[in-house]
Amino acid sequence: MNIRVTILTAVLALASSAYAADPPRKSENDSASIGTPVARSSGEADAMRVQGEQRFRANCGRCHAAPHKFPPRMMATIVRHMRVRATITDEDMRLVLFYMTQ
Amino acid sequence: MDHIVRTFGDRPGRACVRASCLVIFFCLIPALLKAQTPDPVPEMERPVPILTGNAGFFTNVNGGETELVPSITPVLLLPLGDRWLVESRAEFKGEFERGGGTGPYGGKVEQEIDYLQLDYIANRYLTVTAGRFLTPFGIYNERLYPIWIRSLQPTPLIFPLGTGSSDGVMLRGGFSLNPKVNLNYATYFSTLSTMNKFEADRLAGGRVGFFLPGPRIEAGVSFQKELQEERANAFGFHFAWQPAAVPLNLRAEYSRSHDGSGYWIEAAYRLSQVPFWQKALRRTEIVGRGQQLFAGEIDEDEAEEYGLPDVNTRQGDFGLNYYIQDGLKASASYSRRFNSDGNVNIWTVGLAYRFALPLGRVGPQ
Repeated sequence: MNIRVTILTAVLALASSAYAADPPRKSENDSASIGTPVARSSGEADAMRVQGEQRFRANCGRCHAAPHKFPPRMMATIVRHMRVRATITDEDMRLVLFYMTQ
Repeated sequence: MDHIVRTFGDRPGRACVRASCLVIFFCLIPALLKAQTPDPVPEMERPVPILTGNAGFFTNVNGGETELVPSITPVLLLPLGDRWLVESRAEFKGEFERGGGTGPYGGKVEQEIDYLQLDYIANRYLTVTAGRFLTPFGIYNERLYPIWIRSLQPTPLIFPLGTGSSDGVMLRGGFSLNPKVNLNYATYFSTLSTMNKFEADRLAGGRVGFFLPGPRIEAGVSFQKELQEERANAFGFHFAWQPAAVPLNLRAEYSRSHDGSGYWIEAAYRLSQVPFWQKALRRTEIVGRGQQLFAGEIDEDEAEEYGLPDVNTRQGDFGLNYYIQDGLKASASYSRRFNSDGNVNIWTVGLAYRFALPLGRVGPQ
């Protein structure tokens, strides 16, 4: 049993190291890094803001009241923390970050 | 590996666990170094270290005995590169009572490290966590526990079942299965630890949940296998619903374990839609909770240690929250507890405050 646990944890550690050693290429569809998505037009920005507010209410509002907005660099940290804590999806996290930093 | 096992003495089980921790540690070092290479995120969007958390002061009257409970819970968030996060939460909580019922208030200050963990966001599906973390069993422990978040200050009767902190490795994540359904999961292994402030049981478990963003419904199950002592299993179920049309928050949990079983159902309603006294009522929330605990196969001392009633117990809770400003709320609650030890009233009143301070330059807002 103990050997199995050892092997399992070693495999998990190696897998995570492999991800870090060769991180996936950044693209719109697959990126784990946290950056505010860029709107290409004011219409797109408005749509993203509406989407972001919806995602904020659906995800963040499940547990707590809406906080005041923080500076973008603080929000980037808070959203990363909440992504892990509340298992928010990557897309929701980006839209919430966009909404909270506009 | 043999060398490592010999190094840690003649208990191969614990040695293997420690060896596993070493393997993880050494494997993560190159990954950590790699993560420190410059990333393409613009300077203005780079996350900055933050000191956040909450502080509060509550007066509890439990069965006629008054207790003063000041607390402060700092949370340190330290982002590294664009995929890593070190996060830690400590809790300092005073519990002061009158000596002999009439003397000056005195008592102890509990000091706990709730979590001290390193998170690696591998991709959109997976985050790897190592260190001390909150045991993901149900939703209350991870998401609703902070005093500025919880709707009622007294924790649910079943809260100690399956929860607490674990030392080990956790894999977790959340992603969309389709536009109408998100899936979230967490699976973990915890090693036995008797180290001061880092106590943990040897166990493994997981949680999986489904969130429907449209109707804002979440439901999920938790499972835990103890890998020591009775090697008991624990099972849990959670449900949450936030209807979009009304400012109502419904939550419920059920837990079953060797130490007991039970459930709680809670409804919190913000009075923002009441057409009169808008200025005050939009900041006001009323809360009700019903709960029941069925005592498990533990004796009185164990029950006290875990913070569980040792007899079957029912309890009704009613609360009022007033959100004074962002991060600051006043709370009051009344609970009536029914069990064979005698029925008691529990009153709570106090303030909770959430703070957030940058530990670096944030630039213009």
